[in-house]
Amino acid sequence: MSLLQVRDLHTHFISRNLDNEIRVAKALNGVSFEVSRGEVLGLVGETGAGKSLTAYSVMDLLKPPAKVVGGTVEFDGRNLRDLEAEDMNKLRGSEIAMVVQNPRSSLDPLTRVGEQLIRVHTAHTDTSESAARARAIEKLGAVGIPAPEQRMRAWPHELSGGMAQRVLIAMALMNEPKLIIADEPTTGLDVTVQAQILDLLRELVVTHNVAAMVITHDLGIVAHYCNRMAVMFAGRIVETGDVETVFDNPSHPYTRTLIASTPERLKEGKQKVLGGGAPPNLYNLPPGCHYVERCRFADESCNKPLSLDQVGDGHFAMCTRLDAVREGWPS
Amino acid sequence: MTEPLLRADKLTKHFVTPRTGQTVRAVNGVSFEMFAGQTVGMVGESGSGKSTVGRMVVRLLKPTQGSVTFRGRDIAPLRDRAVRALRSDLQMVFQDPWSALNPRMRVKRIIQEPLLLHSKLSDSERSDRVEEIARSVRLNTDLLTRFPGELSGGQLQRVCIARAIATSPGLIVLDEPTSSLDLSVRAGILDLLQELREETGAAMLFISHDLGTVRLVSDHILVLYLGHIVESGPMAKVFDEPAHPYTQTLLSAHLPADPRTQLHRHLLEGEIPSPIDMPPGCPFSTRCPLVRDECRTALPPMVDIGDGAQRAACIRIREGSNQVPL
Repeated sequence: MSLLQVRDLHTHFISRNLDNEIRVAKALNGVSFEVSRGEVLGLVGETGAGKSLTAYSVMDLLKPPAKVVGGTVEFDGRNLRDLEAEDMNKLRGSEIAMVVQNPRSSLDPLTRVGEQLIRVHTAHTDTSESAARARAIEKLGAVGIPAPEQRMRAWPHELSGGMAQRVLIAMALMNEPKLIIADEPTTGLDVTVQAQILDLLRELVVTHNVAAMVITHDLGIVAHYCNRMAVMFAGRIVETGDVETVFDNPSHPYTRTLIASTPERLKEGKQKVLGGGAPPNLYNLPPGCHYVERCRFADESCNKPLSLDQVGDGHFAMCTRLDAVREGWPS
Repeated sequence: MTEPLLRADKLTKHFVTPRTGQTVRAVNGVSFEMFAGQTVGMVGESGSGKSTVGRMVVRLLKPTQGSVTFRGRDIAPLRDRAVRALRSDLQMVFQDPWSALNPRMRVKRIIQEPLLLHSKLSDSERSDRVEEIARSVRLNTDLLTRFPGELSGGQLQRVCIARAIATSPGLIVLDEPTSSLDLSVRAGILDLLQELREETGAAMLFISHDLGTVRLVSDHILVLYLGHIVESGPMAKVFDEPAHPYTQTLLSAHLPADPRTQLHRHLLEGEIPSPIDMPPGCPFSTRCPLVRDECRTALPPMVDIGDGAQRAACIRIREGSNQVPL
């Protein structure tokens, strides 16, 4: 039984234009996935595909004009969309923790690091301040920050990017979460520091048996740190499966293009990658497959409603032209 | 041996912080050569001085010390006015195409501006040339009348590249040209750069922290750490047999986008020290897993490896004890 089950999630940006007509940008269009304890799910896709929006929709952190308009988010037996705002607040930061891309801007610049860690714990529990302090020091140590006791007194601006990201992870751990959502946790960090942070995250998944969802556009991270992956395009998951299965046997033409675009595959020089092209207009999406305009294999069948169909063991793809793609893809 | 197109000799750049008056030792005696048509990849972590070296090569920054000999002439001491005349031969492409282009100029105007400044073409000749350049960067000529705000990231980077090659420069510095682009768009730009390299014969200094990309495009590699070149050599040599402990650990931290490759890693602890507070001796001595006492006192010289095409600055190389256990 998965810890988090997202079913057919739809998120729209609803606004009015200058003529006061309602305009709807369909940013998420039926996103379904699940994450279990002890596994890392990698969510990949290009800018604007809806990766971060998926996380914010799950966490109920959307601000108008964005709004979840359909679907269910089942977490540990509860449908989060039915929860009152107050109950959702209790859940956020305790049972579900989030680590965001830009660590420095998510720390309060006017509060010492230790104080911020303590607050996260006392807000959700009845623990005493001194117990929370001991816990904060323990967590800072656990994420590999040297001299954690002294670091409690540090200001956010005194931390390097890698250290700030560790502090955020320590903060995420303060209340022993069941699920960690990490949105581009190492973008902007150097490779040597990236490796330290990702190792730490994976170790937590294994030792604390938490579930993790990593949002990234780096297929290297997915290849080496995730168990399963989900590829997003224009607000839909177009392919999902075990990482090795998807890399060995990409089915959807978009996944194939992505994997063929990695330096490793380009190096093999097997094929020319056909350029990206623009993402589809979210105000006016095609009726069927959203990839249709960029796809060389599209025909009339692509204009019909699609579903995520099984193509292998635990491997699903959303494409009606799989046979044509398999035969026609340059090898 | 042919004369190099560009020779940087003991390039040094120190900045003084405005309020505290501390010295930031961004680049400390960097020497390398580039030949016509060659692509040199420069890698290193943030703060290693990559961009500063790139900017000194095109003389956007004036070196504190050292020389940049371009086509046989030292351009480091030139006045700004004299540098301007050189710009047609030395061009740069920046990381963020959204901020590198004037938002109020149409694409055509952006590409033709270097031609206005550096050539004596008539209006119609210039117009033809702009279209020719647009085609060579695979930019749809319909886009020439658009403003940058109407273009996608990949298209904008093509405009930046078009602007850089407009005057047929001998050398182009590309500072993280693909880092802000999505994967499939990035592949298209890399492909374009390969083709342009054959078409134009321009030398390229390709600055990137993405080891996969650098490996794909470069003939020669320079590895920077704290403003020092710690290793240089032909691409295949450096990637397959890295000599400097830093190069070895840097490459071991790289994640190839293929779940089947086995990682053999030695993870460095900590982060790159501040260039304000440089360690004495070898710049890598504070993080090196093979550090010895003498590493902390004197800066190790570059030593030849094999036939001398590959060089690295580590005292352990001579005795063959420079391999970090992975």
